[in-house]
Amino acid sequence: MIETENLIRRFGNVTAVDGLTLTIAEGEVFGLLGPNGAGKTTTIRMLAGLIGKTSGDAWVAGCRVGDPATARELRGLVGLMPEEAGLYPDLSAARTLDFYGRLYQVKRDTRAERAERLLTMLDLWDRRDTRVRTFSKGMKQRLTIARALINDPPVLFLDEPTANLDPEGAKTVRDFLLQLKEEKRTILLNTHQLTEAERVCDRVGIMHTRLIAVGTPDELRGAASQQATAIQLAVVSDAVVAAARGVSSARHADVAVKGSTITVAVDKPERDNPELVKAIVAAGGEIQFVTALVPTLEETYLKLLGSEKDEQDDKNKKDLR
Amino acid sequence: MNWQNVATIARKDLAIMMTRRSLRIALVVLPLGLAVLFSQIIAHGNFTADELPQWLNAFLFFFMIYTGALPATIASYSMVGEKVERSLEPLLATPASDGEILLGKALAALTLPLLAMWAGMVTLMALCDAFTHATLGYLYFPNWMAAVTVFAVAPLLATMAVAFSVLVSARVSEVRTAQQLGGLAAVPGIGLYVGLVSGAFSLDLASLGVMCGVLAVIDIALALAARATFHREEILTRWA
Repeated sequence: MIETENLIRRFGNVTAVDGLTLTIAEGEVFGLLGPNGAGKTTTIRMLAGLIGKTSGDAWVAGCRVGDPATARELRGLVGLMPEEAGLYPDLSAARTLDFYGRLYQVKRDTRAERAERLLTMLDLWDRRDTRVRTFSKGMKQRLTIARALINDPPVLFLDEPTANLDPEGAKTVRDFLLQLKEEKRTILLNTHQLTEAERVCDRVGIMHTRLIAVGTPDELRGAASQQATAIQLAVVSDAVVAAARGVSSARHADVAVKGSTITVAVDKPERDNPELVKAIVAAGGEIQFVTALVPTLEETYLKLLGSEKDEQDDKNKKDLR
Repeated sequence: MNWQNVATIARKDLAIMMTRRSLRIALVVLPLGLAVLFSQIIAHGNFTADELPQWLNAFLFFFMIYTGALPATIASYSMVGEKVERSLEPLLATPASDGEILLGKALAALTLPLLAMWAGMVTLMALCDAFTHATLGYLYFPNWMAAVTVFAVAPLLATMAVAFSVLVSARVSEVRTAQQLGGLAAVPGIGLYVGLVSGAFSLDLASLGVMCGVLAVIDIALALAARATFHREEILTRWA
């Protein structure tokens, strides 16, 4: 549904998006993670047909991005929720949706029906005739989602949909995103909220002008971070530590002891843990608990970004020499 | 060009404008206030029957120049207002083309001030007729001079103000600054005023025709420049 090939966008000397190659399948929710200035918004703007590309290729819903012949069609097939709500404070919620519905050539009856459904689902129906000026941040954010859906687009671009929302507002938006996921819409979601990406996205990409890593949250965690198993014992003896080290030594020498718990680095918990438990029991260890220490997406994200920055620094130093 | 999109955008802008009290007041008070003021000057000016036609034409012309500031004010609200509210991005994300958006906004910025100008001019002419009928022995308005002023010069002057405001809006990010700079659109009008007062030209159908021609050329040039400025990519990457 969305495909990019070595997509590049430069602003003067600054490269905002550097060789983005990505495929997002129909019905997939793809999260783009990255710090400010990573090129996430530029990517969305390019794919939504708002700004051009410097080079590379991209297709969205069968339309070639940047082709003037299909630009109007492309914009009609996508729904965009920009980072800034960009609502008209002096229009009511219903009038706002009616205005955008008209621009998307949605027929009058369908427009009214869809506006009612969206406003009801997003808990704004009772306030449909109230001016947006009086809305809370959360209400405005929900209205921007409704606006992005008024043309019933197969592809949705959401730029920081829960930014600056209180936990309750963020939850409402997140629940709605899950609902959209069930409707099998293709969604590209830019976010800083790693928990949100983890809960909503089928796959995530970590971006820092270029795509550093892509995968399911589990794949990324596994690929970028060392997994570990914590074993709590009645008593930690030297024999138990040696046994654990024996199991892990072929792969990692990382065994840490803290109080009555030893933490052992493992490559594949499902393969290594049974062996580890057997070895400890054989060494006379009395196991109380075994816990898999799975790194969070946040740890993975920070680690990958850290490596990327180190690489960039090295490259810059070489360039300076 | 999808005219339905143009009309949708114009209607939305008009609806927003009508919610602004200050704009509503400006649209009513300025034209009607000037119409009453100018007609009172005519009524109490002790002009002779020979002098009156010249003064009546001049006051109608001055009226048009004074109220010419209205379209620039409204256009500034329309363009820079979108910038301030960050509402251009979702608007540009719709299938509406740049030209349709620009034309819709320009039409909205033109419609209300032009209607207000026309309403004020009709009021001025009616009041002047009422006050001068006894002296002249006939109703001076309507006449061809007035028709050209109202239906040709006034729209051309208003169009110039709107196109100029679009150009100004691309460079500034505050409504007030846009309005102040948009005031420069009144310079040609002031030039005409000075020319008329100093006797550089006289108000007759021929000079109004020349004026229309010059204004039309300026309008086309400014409209083309505004169209070139109002470009999706430019707006999103440089207007902010």
